[in-house]
Amino acid sequence: MLRAVGLVKSYRAPSGAPIRVLGGVDLTVKAGEIVVVTGPSGSGKSTLLNVLGLLEDGDGGDVWYQDDRVTALGRTARSRARGGYVGFLFQSFLLLPSLTALENVLLAARYVGRSGPATRQRALDLLAEVGVADRRDHFPPQLSGGEQQRVAFCRAVLNDPPLLLADEPTGSLDDANGAVILAALRGRARAGGAVVVVSHRPEAAVGASTVYRLRNGALESP
Amino acid sequence: MLRGYLFTVLGIAIGVAGLVSLGAMSERIVRFIDGGDRFVLGQISVAGRGMGMGAGFTAGGLLPASAVAAIAAVPGVAGVQPQVMLPLNPSTSQFMTLTQELVLGFDLSVPMPNRHYRSLPVRAGRFLRDGDRRVAVLGAAFAASRGLGVGSRLTLEGESYEVVGVLDRMLTAPDRFVMVPIADARAQWVAKDALLRTVLASGAMPLTASDLNTGAAVGWRDGEDPDAVALRIRERVPGVNVQLPSELSQLLRSSTAFFSALLAGIGVLAFVIGGLSLANTVAAAVFERIRDFGVKRALGATDLQLGREVLAEALGVTLVGGLAGIALALSLGSFIDAFVAGGNQQLFHFSPRLLGGALAFSVLLGTAAAAYATARVVSVSPAEAIRRAS
Repeated sequence: MLRAVGLVKSYRAPSGAPIRVLGGVDLTVKAGEIVVVTGPSGSGKSTLLNVLGLLEDGDGGDVWYQDDRVTALGRTARSRARGGYVGFLFQSFLLLPSLTALENVLLAARYVGRSGPATRQRALDLLAEVGVADRRDHFPPQLSGGEQQRVAFCRAVLNDPPLLLADEPTGSLDDANGAVILAALRGRARAGGAVVVVSHRPEAAVGASTVYRLRNGALESP
Repeated sequence: MLRGYLFTVLGIAIGVAGLVSLGAMSERIVRFIDGGDRFVLGQISVAGRGMGMGAGFTAGGLLPASAVAAIAAVPGVAGVQPQVMLPLNPSTSQFMTLTQELVLGFDLSVPMPNRHYRSLPVRAGRFLRDGDRRVAVLGAAFAASRGLGVGSRLTLEGESYEVVGVLDRMLTAPDRFVMVPIADARAQWVAKDALLRTVLASGAMPLTASDLNTGAAVGWRDGEDPDAVALRIRERVPGVNVQLPSELSQLLRSSTAFFSALLAGIGVLAFVIGGLSLANTVAAAVFERIRDFGVKRALGATDLQLGREVLAEALGVTLVGGLAGIALALSLGSFIDAFVAGGNQQLFHFSPRLLGGALAFSVLLGTAAAAYATARVVSVSPAEAIRRAS
């Protein structure tokens, strides 16, 4: 489902000197797999996920979603590829504070041309599956961290994307809520989705198809 | 759609309210100057040669009946209406100011010769008629300032007058006039002016009542050039001051040049302050949502979809903010006119062109500011947009 070859990315330090974060990363994730990438803070895990999800450009290398070489696409086509192929889960949830829980979930459908009663019903079903159906009309500030991440998970999977990218999805949660989210991600893989999780928490690796450690800009098997 | 935009709407409303309020003050001055200009261009104003017997649009001396008859005989003249114009309170000097209060006496046996004011617009009651005595028609601001209406009584120089009519608000000089039959104005003139009483009592001048005119409004026949008719009067009738309509208009314009400059300055200030406030508010509202844009782009939103979304929101927000600002300005202006200015001065004029223009300006500027801010926001990657807001 996901193939990345030779991903390179550097940032500029305040002094102007380049800091290489990704030094030619290769990665393949098949449908039904969970790949977990671990590593200390600042190792480049989030950058890897951003480049894989087309949230920022790499300096080199290519990314394929199925047979589409998406790094070769223009801006608009990349946006459409993101909407069509990828669901994102972020550490800080990134729910829009002016929208209710249900509206936040439905936001994922707005930009891919899906709307109507069926989509709304699916959003309600997803909220019920993760146990926050009764919070659908609440705004993010009225929800706990665990509830917000569950809503964010529903948003990420509303369009049933073949690829799910999760950046420290349990980083802001307590153990119980973290376990709920990790279980939901595993369930996503069992249903045939490809999942990439970057996390520094060891429990994220439980049940993973493959675990990598990102060190010095390269993926290593621990 | 407007949820979460309360402060943006408030910010826009304040900017638009400032724009509309300053614009309304400017409009008020424009209306006053234009009204005066329209009046002086509608007639030839004539006074007797001399200085300061009364007050009026034409400074000058007594205009006797013989001069009125001579003017009427000049080719091209359609009608001559003797008038008496006096300051209501001779102890104050308010000539040609916004607060001028004058008594204007008309000879109602002659039709109004002013081409732009064949009749004055009466809001309540009626206008003066030939043969009336001790009755008055009041300008709107004068009536409002004293709480007078049709049927009220007004004392002028010790005589009681019945108010038979109140004019529409014209936003120019007649708003502060008391209009009376010319015979009554002549009586007031004599009562006010000790020198005139002395002259009349001495018999030094063979004057009759019909000689007591401070000036006359002269009309011209269709097809005649008013300036040419005025020059003809100047040539053929000795002992009169004749104002060419174009000269008087120019004089009025130059005497109000300060106001014109002031209103131009007010207009520029209104655009700069109101416009900057509004543009800044809208742009800031977009910039502070940079994280939302990052999230939406992560969810697959294209630049075009985001642009459309933001422009639609900006349109709605500026429209609501603009309408709220107009309502705020109207309330503020009405309050100031009613209470602060004592009800006898209208400081604001909220014309349809001002309100429509301010709304269109706010919507266009708000939309342009939103478009600019959106272009800036989408120029960064979604990851960067999310990072910047964290």
